[in-house]
Amino acid sequence: MVYQSEQIVERLFRTEYGKLLATLTKLFGPSHLQLAEDVVRETLISALSNWSTGEIPANPTGWLVQVAKRKALNKIKRNHMMLRHHHIHVLSHNSVEDIDAFFLDDEIKDSQLRMIFTCCHPALDTKSQIALTLKTLCGFGIKELAKALLSTESTINKRLYRAKEKIRKTQTPFTIPQGSELIEKLDTVGLSLYLLFNEGYNATGGESVIKKELCLEAIRLAKLLVDRFKDDHKLNALLALMCFHTARFDARIDDKGTIILFEDQDRSLWNRDLIHIGMGYLKKSLHDTVISAYHVEARIAAEHCLSASFEQTDWQVIHDHYLLLGKLKPNPIIQLNLAIIQSKLQGVEKSLSLLDNMAKNDSLKEYHLLPVTQGIFHMKLQHYQKAKVFLEKSLAMGPSNKEIAFIQDKIRECENMLPKS
Amino acid sequence: MQEFLLILKGDGMNHLSPNELQDIFEAYKTWVEGLGENYLGGQRLEENGALLQSKNDPILTDGPFLESKEIIAGFFLIQAKNQKEANAIALSSPHLGLYSIEVRPIAFPKMS
Repeated sequence: MVYQSEQIVERLFRTEYGKLLATLTKLFGPSHLQLAEDVVRETLISALSNWSTGEIPANPTGWLVQVAKRKALNKIKRNHMMLRHHHIHVLSHNSVEDIDAFFLDDEIKDSQLRMIFTCCHPALDTKSQIALTLKTLCGFGIKELAKALLSTESTINKRLYRAKEKIRKTQTPFTIPQGSELIEKLDTVGLSLYLLFNEGYNATGGESVIKKELCLEAIRLAKLLVDRFKDDHKLNALLALMCFHTARFDARIDDKGTIILFEDQDRSLWNRDLIHIGMGYLKKSLHDTVISAYHVEARIAAEHCLSASFEQTDWQVIHDHYLLLGKLKPNPIIQLNLAIIQSKLQGVEKSLSLLDNMAKNDSLKEYHLLPVTQGIFHMKLQHYQKAKVFLEKSLAMGPSNKEIAFIQDKIRECENMLPKS
Repeated sequence: MQEFLLILKGDGMNHLSPNELQDIFEAYKTWVEGLGENYLGGQRLEENGALLQSKNDPILTDGPFLESKEIIAGFFLIQAKNQKEANAIALSSPHLGLYSIEVRPIAFPKMS
């Protein structure tokens, strides 16, 4: 790749951080993740001070690799005794030539894959898996993690510290599993990436820019897995799903950051290239016997992406797939979606009666999007007084700031339609 | 024109994320370019090294020897008309905040 001498690519530091860290973790062993993090950070700081006051090298990535290698070698020499104490295999890698092999392109990819499996180790809880993945593979800092995961810096710090301790104590290996273990671990990894993606896509709190980055990172890591495990149908379906959703990311909010309902979205803002790429993965995911929730979700998303307009959507197909999804992954939100889809098949009144029944159901009683939906459907029927009551009820159920703005807009719309008292 | 040493103390950059470091890099480069010929040089220092306190005391090695906010992280050599202008240059540095900066004139007359 050719770089302009005056400029380095956006996010270069973050991208290279993930690659270098994975490589050095393989070199030092996952028990020394902290040591590897220190070396990478020092490497980036060296780059920063050298490039700011002099020339930016023609090949910044190569420069970083060279410096990281030298620093790693120094650490190995200096920490020889400590590492020997832990019986770490690193002892044999004590020359630049030995270390070189770790930095070949294929090896870097391999190390990143190992890092994914280590971060998504079943011994760690899901939140820790996601935080650790973002920290190590995606180069997120503590502040950025707190923002992205809607948490505090001290919580994130504690979580990461505990995760690293656990990796050290349980001697979690830095390997790609094989055979039947691989299939099982791929499921865990897939689920972590799915949740990481949802963290970016579904949470309506927080800044949109950083949320989108979560989605893009989830795609990048899923692609790394799919490139290696090409025939894994579930992974292909997962990646297809991520592509379809991300394609619609920018159409979901307006310039002021307010939510735009799916039916009101400007479809010309959808990213056609990404939809096309998603279709490719969806095709590869098809298999006679394997069907997962990812497949069904991807299929639903594809149907939406390919419909020319909201009105032209084939709601029967969407409905049938939601039914199937409900069987594969029983979940009250899916029931909510099914009730909403009924408005397209049997009319808004039918939907409303289903929603009223759900409101008595324990699992959705506290879910703010249920009264929001009821409110909006009553607006469609011009029941503005009823609509207003539901919308106001939802405000007390803990919606995010963006949702509050949206709900208040709708309440104002209702008030404008009601006779002035 | 007089020469000044800007001494940067602290460990501020150790807590930054890769993105934040890259942002600092952009700001840093712009700052150096903006100084033009008033920027004479600068280096970052490793945290380790040795500390010698007298001929008889043992030599302390490896370090760091001070509290983190006292560690000298690096230095710049600049030229400015006077202390006030040198202070202004230090104030405009993207490092200020991450580090405290001591602005010290090189003693006059300068050895050459």
